[in-house]
Amino acid sequence: MDRHDGFREFVLTRQQALMRTAYLLTGDAHLAEDLLQSVLMKVVRQWHKLSKDGNPEAYTRKALVNQYISWKRRPRPEVPSSDLPERDVSHDDATLDRIVLRQALDRLTPKQRAVIVLRFREDLSEAQTAEILGCAVGTVKSQTHHALARLRAVAPELAHLLSEPEIVEVAR
Amino acid sequence: MTRLRETLNDIADEAPPVNLADAAIAGYRRRRRLTTGAAALATAVVLAAATAATTVPWQGQQPAVSQRTGTVPDLPAGKVGPLGYAYRTLCEVDAQRNVSCDAVEWRVVTAAGVTYRVPQAVGETAAGRVAPISISRDGRMLAYYSRQARAHVVRDLVTGAETTSPVTVEEDRIGAGSMLVVSDDGRYLVFDPRVGSKYPGTLIDVRTGRTVPLDGRYEAVGVKGGVVELVRYVKTDLWLMPVTGGGKPVRFKGPHIMFNEVSPDGRTVVALHWDRDLRELKDNTLTVLDVRTGRTVRKLAIRGLPDDKGGILSTGPWVSGHEFTVVYGLFGGRFSTYAVDAGTGRARRLTGYRKADSFLVVPGVNDVNK
Repeated sequence: MDRHDGFREFVLTRQQALMRTAYLLTGDAHLAEDLLQSVLMKVVRQWHKLSKDGNPEAYTRKALVNQYISWKRRPRPEVPSSDLPERDVSHDDATLDRIVLRQALDRLTPKQRAVIVLRFREDLSEAQTAEILGCAVGTVKSQTHHALARLRAVAPELAHLLSEPEIVEVAR
Repeated sequence: MTRLRETLNDIADEAPPVNLADAAIAGYRRRRRLTTGAAALATAVVLAAATAATTVPWQGQQPAVSQRTGTVPDLPAGKVGPLGYAYRTLCEVDAQRNVSCDAVEWRVVTAAGVTYRVPQAVGETAAGRVAPISISRDGRMLAYYSRQARAHVVRDLVTGAETTSPVTVEEDRIGAGSMLVVSDDGRYLVFDPRVGSKYPGTLIDVRTGRTVPLDGRYEAVGVKGGVVELVRYVKTDLWLMPVTGGGKPVRFKGPHIMFNEVSPDGRTVVALHWDRDLRELKDNTLTVLDVRTGRTVRKLAIRGLPDDKGGILSTGPWVSGHEFTVVYGLFGGRFSTYAVDAGTGRARRLTGYRKADSFLVVPGVNDVNK
């Protein structure tokens, strides 16, 4: 039996869910894969300890979000892409929402984006989100408020997504 | 479930399937080997230093070994990755203030930050003219003039493929203020022997060797989607010419300079309205122009640029459907690129460059400081 078997099993069962989170955070498949792989390298280093008395999934998720924020803080040269946005293509409403939300998420700060993903997709409480981000609950509240306000400002066409009672309640 | 969550889930569904367990374990092992190796190396260096300290008397008699810390490697063959920018080294000035430009060369810096010499690219012609290079908008293609090939060469930094243009260009055709523009796919080059002169430029298809002469009064801004964007500065005219030739120019009211490429929706172009007092340059205000009618769509006051007596040096490619780039010259000689929102004018900083040696070339912008 390999000493990494436990880690392999953990990755096998959780990697796709983690990859989805990484993809939502970065908005780019290659970056998401890089992000997750670099975090899993940290996890494998800590595996012995984590598998005994830790919560590998919570640790990995926390590392994923923090690594993402840390990557975005680092100045990285941005190369203009030759791929320009699609134009003049008709989409159904759900597809349109997806496209607009993707673009709008790109306009958020890394922390705001992380808050949106953790609160509204992962369905974490304010306290759980604060624990992952390593900040106060009050900061999560304000980041959520600012993130939603920014989404409304940059993408008014998403009003129907952002004005549902549950969202408004959370933003209060 | 809220619709926001549904939409976030829809986006998450686009994540490709991965299998990362073995890759993570291999990466962990590799890093551990490197860390162990580095520790061993550090020990060896300390030991060597201690040994050297006891053998100093021999040191002066040993043959001098070239250990220039600033040695820059040559651009290797094969895959290198997209470029961030390029610059030309300075001429050397000795103690008697004699200037020698023999060692002038082009250097490229990859998007990952690695610098390479490009010795095969002519830096200065025998007649003392700058032989320009060009980097495509996405940093992938590098075009330069090769003395050996007596032609231009296009190098794809991502695949490593290199294409030598079948069109021979004698070195002495490269005049003062010569310009080179490469298309994103590396297929087309615009070579202008002397911008803004009566000498015609040439559009070169490096795959077929087909050439199309370009009116010498026009300057090429870029080649994109089978169209060459040409600008005639005095009037000012914009000519979106198909690579096969044809098309006709549109005229703007009043003189404009610093054109960028046509916006992603194909409707507008951004330029600087030119007046003798440079008022709009001082105010960091650009003009959005309609490429079909020539009319001014709006003035765009740019907010968020440094307040340091510097100024916009050039406009550049679009980085998204709503943001285009500008190159800003900072007070003191450094440069930065900014993405400017074409709707609001809000600028955000993208990249900073050190005080460039000379002739900074960034992707999609040819020589911002000539």
